[in-house]
Amino acid sequence: MAQLPISTPELESSDKWEAQMRKGCLEMAVLASLWHGRLYGLEILRVLERDSSLVLAEGTVYPILNRLRTEGLLQSQWVEAEAGHPRKYYELTASGRERATQMAETWTQFSAGLGRLIGPVTRK
Amino acid sequence: MTPQAQIADYLARLRASLVGMTVSEREDIVEEIRMHIRERASDPQSSLDEVLEGLGAPELLAEQYRTGMLVQKARTSRSPFLILRAALRWATTGIEGFLVFMIAVVGYATGGAFLLLALLKPFFPQYTGFWVGPGQFSFSFRMGATMTNPQPPVHEVLGWWLIPVCLLVGSLSLALTTKLLQFLFRRFRWKVPFASVMRTRPAMMAL
Repeated sequence: MAQLPISTPELESSDKWEAQMRKGCLEMAVLASLWHGRLYGLEILRVLERDSSLVLAEGTVYPILNRLRTEGLLQSQWVEAEAGHPRKYYELTASGRERATQMAETWTQFSAGLGRLIGPVTRK
Repeated sequence: MTPQAQIADYLARLRASLVGMTVSEREDIVEEIRMHIRERASDPQSSLDEVLEGLGAPELLAEQYRTGMLVQKARTSRSPFLILRAALRWATTGIEGFLVFMIAVVGYATGGAFLLLALLKPFFPQYTGFWVGPGQFSFSFRMGATMTNPQPPVHEVLGWWLIPVCLLVGSLSLALTTKLLQFLFRRFRWKVPFASVMRTRPAMMAL
Protein backbone atom coordinates (compact mmCIF):
# COMPACT_ATOMS: atom_id res chain seq x y z
CA MET A 1 0.00 0.00 0.00
CA ALA A 2 1.39 3.34 -1.02
CA GLN A 3 2.47 5.57 1.81
CA LEU A 4 0.85 8.97 1.81
CA PRO A 5 3.17 11.97 2.16
CA ILE A 6 3.19 13.35 5.66
CA SER A 7 1.78 16.86 5.76
CA THR A 8 0.96 18.71 8.93
CA PRO A 9 -0.36 22.24 9.32
CA GLU A 10 2.98 23.17 10.93
CA LEU A 11 4.95 21.89 7.92
CA GLU A 12 2.63 23.61 5.43
CA SER A 13 2.86 26.85 7.38
CA SER A 14 6.65 26.58 7.42
CA ASP A 15 6.72 25.96 3.65
CA LYS A 16 4.50 28.97 3.02
CA TRP A 17 6.70 31.15 5.19
CA GLU A 18 9.81 30.05 3.34
CA ALA A 19 8.14 30.64 -0.04
CA GLN A 20 7.06 34.13 1.02
CA MET A 21 10.55 34.93 2.29
CA ARG A 22 12.12 33.78 -0.97
CA LYS A 23 9.59 35.73 -3.01
CA GLY A 24 10.41 38.84 -1.01
CA CYS A 25 14.05 38.80 -2.02
CA LEU A 26 13.55 37.64 -5.60
CA GLU A 27 13.63 41.10 -7.10
CA MET A 28 16.86 41.91 -5.30
CA ALA A 29 18.38 38.63 -6.45
CA VAL A 30 17.49 39.30 -10.10
CA LEU A 31 18.99 42.80 -9.93
CA ALA A 32 22.10 41.46 -8.20
CA SER A 33 22.57 38.76 -10.84
CA LEU A 34 23.00 41.54 -13.41
CA TRP A 35 25.53 43.49 -11.36
CA HIS A 36 28.54 42.35 -13.42
CA GLY A 37 27.01 42.83 -16.84
CA ARG A 38 24.23 41.96 -19.22
CA LEU A 39 22.61 38.52 -19.26
CA TYR A 40 19.64 36.94 -20.97
CA GLY A 41 16.77 35.19 -19.17
CA LEU A 42 18.15 31.67 -19.13
CA GLU A 43 21.56 32.91 -18.00
CA ILE A 44 19.93 34.80 -15.14
CA LEU A 45 18.18 31.60 -14.05
CA ARG A 46 21.49 29.74 -14.15
CA VAL A 47 23.34 32.44 -12.21
CA LEU A 48 20.64 32.47 -9.53
CA GLU A 49 20.79 28.71 -9.29
CA ARG A 50 24.59 28.59 -9.23
CA ASP A 51 25.32 31.51 -6.92
CA SER A 52 22.41 31.22 -4.51
CA SER A 53 19.93 28.62 -3.41
CA LEU A 54 17.20 30.34 -5.42
CA VAL A 55 15.82 27.88 -7.90
CA LEU A 56 12.97 29.43 -9.83
CA ALA A 57 10.23 28.00 -11.93
CA GLU A 58 11.39 29.13 -15.36
CA GLY A 59 8.18 30.97 -16.05
CA THR A 60 8.72 33.15 -13.00
CA VAL A 61 11.73 35.12 -14.10
CA TYR A 62 10.46 36.56 -17.39
CA PRO A 63 7.46 38.49 -15.99
CA ILE A 64 9.74 39.89 -13.28
CA LEU A 65 12.31 40.99 -15.84
CA ASN A 66 9.54 42.60 -17.87
CA ARG A 67 8.23 44.49 -14.85
CA LEU A 68 11.69 45.69 -13.79
CA ARG A 69 12.21 46.90 -17.34
CA THR A 70 8.96 48.86 -17.39
CA GLU A 71 9.95 50.38 -14.04
CA GLY A 72 13.16 51.64 -15.64
CA LEU A 73 15.45 49.50 -13.49
CA LEU A 74 16.56 47.37 -16.44
CA GLN A 75 16.99 47.93 -20.12
CA SER A 76 16.82 45.22 -22.73
CA GLN A 77 18.19 44.61 -26.17
CA TRP A 78 17.78 41.85 -28.71
CA VAL A 79 21.18 40.56 -29.81
CA GLU A 80 21.88 38.08 -32.56
CA ALA A 81 23.68 35.24 -30.82
CA GLU A 82 26.20 32.69 -32.02
CA ALA A 83 23.64 30.03 -31.21
CA GLY A 84 21.84 31.07 -34.38
CA HIS A 85 18.88 32.79 -32.82
CA PRO A 86 18.49 36.17 -31.13
CA ARG A 87 18.54 36.55 -27.37
CA LYS A 88 17.02 39.30 -25.29
CA TYR A 89 19.71 40.66 -23.01
CA TYR A 90 19.03 42.67 -19.87
CA GLU A 91 21.29 45.10 -18.06
CA LEU A 92 20.94 47.41 -15.10
CA THR A 93 20.17 51.06 -15.69
CA ALA A 94 21.56 53.73 -13.36
CA SER A 95 18.31 53.57 -11.36
CA GLY A 96 18.58 49.78 -11.29
CA ARG A 97 22.11 49.98 -9.84
CA GLU A 98 20.90 52.46 -7.26
CA ARG A 99 17.93 50.24 -6.32
CA ALA A 100 20.14 47.12 -6.14
CA THR A 101 22.54 48.93 -3.82
CA GLN A 102 19.72 50.16 -1.57
CA MET A 103 18.20 46.69 -1.41
CA ALA A 104 21.55 45.04 -0.67
CA GLU A 105 22.31 47.49 2.15
CA THR A 106 18.86 47.07 3.66
CA TRP A 107 19.15 43.30 3.40
CA THR A 108 22.61 43.25 4.99
CA GLN A 109 21.52 45.37 7.95
CA PHE A 110 18.32 43.40 8.36
CA SER A 111 19.94 39.98 8.20
CA ALA A 112 22.79 41.01 10.53
CA GLY A 113 20.33 42.27 13.14
CA LEU A 114 18.12 39.24 12.83
CA GLY A 115 21.15 36.96 12.89
CA ARG A 116 22.11 38.25 16.34
CA LEU A 117 18.57 37.65 17.55
CA ILE A 118 18.18 34.12 16.22
CA GLY A 119 21.75 33.04 16.97
CA PRO A 120 20.82 31.18 20.16
CA VAL A 121 17.78 29.61 18.43
CA THR A 122 19.63 27.84 15.62
CA ARG A 123 20.52 24.18 16.00
CA LYS A 124 24.17 23.51 16.82
CA MET B 1 1.25 16.40 -31.75
CA THR B 2 4.70 17.16 -33.17
CA PRO B 3 7.15 19.25 -31.10
CA GLN B 4 6.74 22.17 -33.48
CA ALA B 5 2.96 22.02 -33.19
CA GLN B 6 3.26 21.75 -29.41
CA ILE B 7 5.40 24.90 -29.27
CA ALA B 8 3.11 26.74 -31.69
CA ASP B 9 0.10 25.79 -29.58
CA TYR B 10 1.79 26.98 -26.37
CA LEU B 11 2.77 30.32 -27.91
CA ALA B 12 -0.66 30.82 -29.47
CA ARG B 13 -2.30 30.33 -26.06
CA LEU B 14 0.20 32.70 -24.47
CA ARG B 15 -0.43 35.34 -27.14
CA ALA B 16 -4.19 35.00 -26.75
CA SER B 17 -3.91 35.49 -22.98
CA LEU B 18 -1.74 38.59 -23.14
CA VAL B 19 -4.70 40.92 -23.43
CA GLY B 20 -4.53 44.63 -22.65
CA MET B 21 -1.06 45.06 -24.15
CA THR B 22 0.17 46.66 -27.35
CA VAL B 23 0.99 44.35 -30.26
CA SER B 24 4.66 45.25 -29.86
CA GLU B 25 4.71 44.37 -26.13
CA ARG B 26 2.87 41.12 -26.78
CA GLU B 27 5.09 39.99 -29.64
CA ASP B 28 8.22 40.88 -27.67
CA ILE B 29 7.11 38.61 -24.83
CA VAL B 30 6.09 35.76 -27.16
CA GLU B 31 9.40 35.98 -28.99
CA GLU B 32 11.40 35.85 -25.76
CA ILE B 33 9.50 32.78 -24.59
CA ARG B 34 9.91 31.18 -28.02
CA MET B 35 13.70 31.64 -27.78
CA HIS B 36 13.72 30.27 -24.24
CA ILE B 37 11.87 27.13 -25.35
CA ARG B 38 14.14 26.73 -28.35
CA GLU B 39 17.33 26.98 -26.32
CA ARG B 40 16.13 24.83 -23.44
CA ALA B 41 14.72 22.18 -25.75
CA SER B 42 18.03 21.95 -27.59
CA ASP B 43 19.58 20.66 -24.36
CA PRO B 44 19.73 16.86 -24.80
CA GLN B 45 19.11 16.40 -21.07
CA SER B 46 15.69 17.99 -21.14
CA SER B 47 12.55 17.18 -23.06
CA LEU B 48 10.11 19.66 -24.55
CA ASP B 49 7.46 18.55 -22.07
CA GLU B 50 9.79 19.39 -19.18
CA VAL B 51 10.58 22.80 -20.67
CA LEU B 52 6.91 23.69 -21.12
CA GLU B 53 6.13 22.38 -17.65
CA GLY B 54 8.88 24.60 -16.23
CA LEU B 55 7.28 27.63 -17.84
CA GLY B 56 3.87 26.72 -16.49
CA ALA B 57 0.52 26.99 -18.23
CA PRO B 58 0.59 29.81 -20.80
CA GLU B 59 -2.50 31.38 -19.23
CA LEU B 60 -0.77 31.56 -15.83
CA LEU B 61 2.41 32.92 -17.39
CA ALA B 62 0.38 35.62 -19.14
CA GLU B 63 -1.39 36.37 -15.87
CA GLN B 64 1.96 37.16 -14.22
CA TYR B 65 2.91 39.52 -17.03
CA ARG B 66 -0.48 41.22 -16.87
CA THR B 67 -0.37 41.64 -13.09
CA GLY B 68 3.10 43.16 -13.25
CA MET B 69 2.15 45.60 -15.99
CA LEU B 70 -1.18 46.48 -14.40
CA VAL B 71 0.42 47.36 -11.06
CA GLN B 72 3.19 49.26 -12.82
CA LYS B 73 0.68 51.30 -14.83
CA ALA B 74 -1.46 51.92 -11.74
CA ARG B 75 1.51 53.50 -9.94
CA THR B 76 1.51 56.39 -12.37
CA SER B 77 -2.01 56.32 -13.78
CA ARG B 78 -4.76 58.73 -12.76
CA SER B 79 -7.49 56.47 -14.05
CA PRO B 80 -9.70 55.27 -11.16
CA PHE B 81 -10.76 52.34 -13.34
CA LEU B 82 -7.17 51.15 -13.83
CA ILE B 83 -6.29 51.72 -10.17
CA LEU B 84 -9.37 49.82 -9.03
CA ARG B 85 -8.47 46.91 -11.31
CA ALA B 86 -4.94 46.81 -9.89
CA ALA B 87 -6.28 47.03 -6.32
CA LEU B 88 -8.74 44.23 -7.06
CA ARG B 89 -5.91 42.05 -8.38
CA TRP B 90 -3.94 42.83 -5.23
CA ALA B 91 -6.98 42.11 -3.06
CA THR B 92 -7.04 38.51 -4.23
CA THR B 93 -3.61 37.89 -2.75
CA GLY B 94 -4.09 38.64 0.94
CA ILE B 95 -5.35 40.85 3.73
CA GLU B 96 -3.00 43.71 2.84
CA GLY B 97 -4.33 43.86 -0.70
CA PHE B 98 -7.89 43.55 0.54
CA LEU B 99 -7.45 46.61 2.79
CA VAL B 100 -6.02 48.60 -0.12
CA PHE B 101 -8.96 47.55 -2.25
CA MET B 102 -11.40 48.65 0.47
CA ILE B 103 -9.70 52.07 0.64
CA ALA B 104 -10.10 52.33 -3.12
CA VAL B 105 -13.77 51.36 -3.04
CA VAL B 106 -14.68 53.70 -0.16
CA GLY B 107 -12.66 56.63 -1.56
CA TYR B 108 -13.99 56.38 -5.09
CA ALA B 109 -17.57 55.65 -3.96
CA THR B 110 -17.50 58.77 -1.75
CA GLY B 111 -16.12 60.91 -4.57
CA GLY B 112 -18.58 59.46 -7.04
CA ALA B 113 -21.52 60.05 -4.69
CA PHE B 114 -20.68 63.75 -4.28
CA LEU B 115 -20.30 64.20 -8.03
CA LEU B 116 -23.64 62.47 -8.54
CA LEU B 117 -25.29 64.87 -6.10
CA ALA B 118 -23.93 67.83 -8.10
CA LEU B 119 -25.28 66.26 -11.26
CA LEU B 120 -28.74 65.61 -9.81
CA LYS B 121 -29.28 69.06 -8.28
CA PRO B 122 -30.31 70.83 -11.56
CA PHE B 123 -32.82 68.08 -12.36
CA PHE B 124 -34.30 67.56 -8.88
CA PRO B 125 -33.61 70.83 -7.04
CA GLN B 126 -36.28 70.25 -4.38
CA TYR B 127 -35.09 66.79 -3.47
CA THR B 128 -31.36 67.31 -3.57
CA GLY B 129 -29.64 69.29 -0.89
CA PHE B 130 -27.89 69.59 2.40
CA TRP B 131 -30.46 69.57 5.15
CA VAL B 132 -29.64 70.49 8.70
CA GLY B 133 -31.82 70.61 11.72
CA PRO B 134 -32.36 69.09 15.13
CA GLY B 135 -31.07 65.56 15.01
CA GLN B 136 -30.07 65.83 11.39
CA PHE B 137 -26.84 66.86 9.73
CA SER B 138 -26.38 65.20 6.42
CA PHE B 139 -26.28 65.53 2.70
CA SER B 140 -29.20 63.73 1.21
CA PHE B 141 -31.08 63.17 -1.98
CA ARG B 142 -34.76 62.29 -2.00
CA MET B 143 -37.10 61.60 -4.84
CA GLY B 144 -40.07 59.38 -5.57
CA ALA B 145 -43.83 59.40 -4.95
CA THR B 146 -43.63 58.29 -1.37
CA MET B 147 -40.75 60.41 -0.25
CA THR B 148 -41.04 63.89 1.13
CA ASN B 149 -38.62 66.57 2.07
CA PRO B 150 -37.78 66.95 5.73
CA GLN B 151 -40.18 69.26 7.57
CA PRO B 152 -39.14 72.41 9.50
CA PRO B 153 -37.18 73.00 11.61
CA VAL B 154 -34.99 70.77 9.39
CA HIS B 155 -34.02 72.94 6.41
CA GLU B 156 -31.80 72.97 3.36
CA VAL B 157 -28.82 75.34 3.70
CA LEU B 158 -26.71 75.29 0.57
CA GLY B 159 -29.19 75.92 -2.22
CA TRP B 160 -27.41 76.11 -5.57
CA TRP B 161 -24.07 76.29 -3.76
CA LEU B 162 -24.53 72.54 -3.37
CA ILE B 163 -23.24 72.06 -6.92
CA PRO B 164 -19.77 73.70 -6.52
CA VAL B 165 -19.40 72.28 -3.00
CA CYS B 166 -20.17 68.74 -4.16
CA LEU B 167 -17.98 69.12 -7.25
CA LEU B 168 -15.11 70.29 -5.06
CA VAL B 169 -15.52 67.64 -2.36
CA GLY B 170 -16.10 64.88 -4.92
CA SER B 171 -13.07 65.84 -7.00
CA LEU B 172 -10.90 66.13 -3.91
CA SER B 173 -12.03 62.74 -2.72
CA LEU B 174 -11.21 61.12 -6.07
CA ALA B 175 -7.84 62.89 -6.30
CA LEU B 176 -6.82 62.06 -2.73
CA THR B 177 -7.88 58.43 -3.12
CA THR B 178 -5.84 58.19 -6.32
CA LYS B 179 -2.78 59.78 -4.69
CA LEU B 180 -3.08 57.55 -1.63
CA LEU B 181 -3.36 54.39 -3.72
CA GLN B 182 -0.43 55.39 -5.93
CA PHE B 183 1.57 55.92 -2.74
CA LEU B 184 0.54 52.50 -1.43
CA PHE B 185 1.43 50.83 -4.73
CA ARG B 186 4.87 52.43 -4.62
CA ARG B 187 5.42 52.02 -0.87
CA PHE B 188 4.56 48.35 -0.90
CA ARG B 189 6.07 47.64 -4.30
CA TRP B 190 8.13 44.74 -2.95
CA LYS B 191 5.04 43.21 -1.49
CA VAL B 192 2.79 43.33 -4.53
CA PRO B 193 2.87 39.64 -5.22
CA PHE B 194 2.77 37.63 -8.36
CA ALA B 195 0.78 34.51 -9.01
CA SER B 196 4.04 32.68 -9.37
CA VAL B 197 5.07 29.58 -7.55
CA MET B 198 8.69 29.12 -6.76
CA ARG B 199 10.13 25.67 -6.68
CA THR B 200 12.74 25.04 -4.08
CA ARG B 201 15.18 22.24 -3.89
CA PRO B 202 17.95 21.44 -1.47
CA ALA B 203 20.98 23.68 -1.87
CA MET B 204 23.24 20.74 -2.66
CA MET B 205 21.15 19.96 -5.73
CA ALA B 206 21.34 23.53 -6.91
CA LEU B 207 25.12 23.47 -7.07
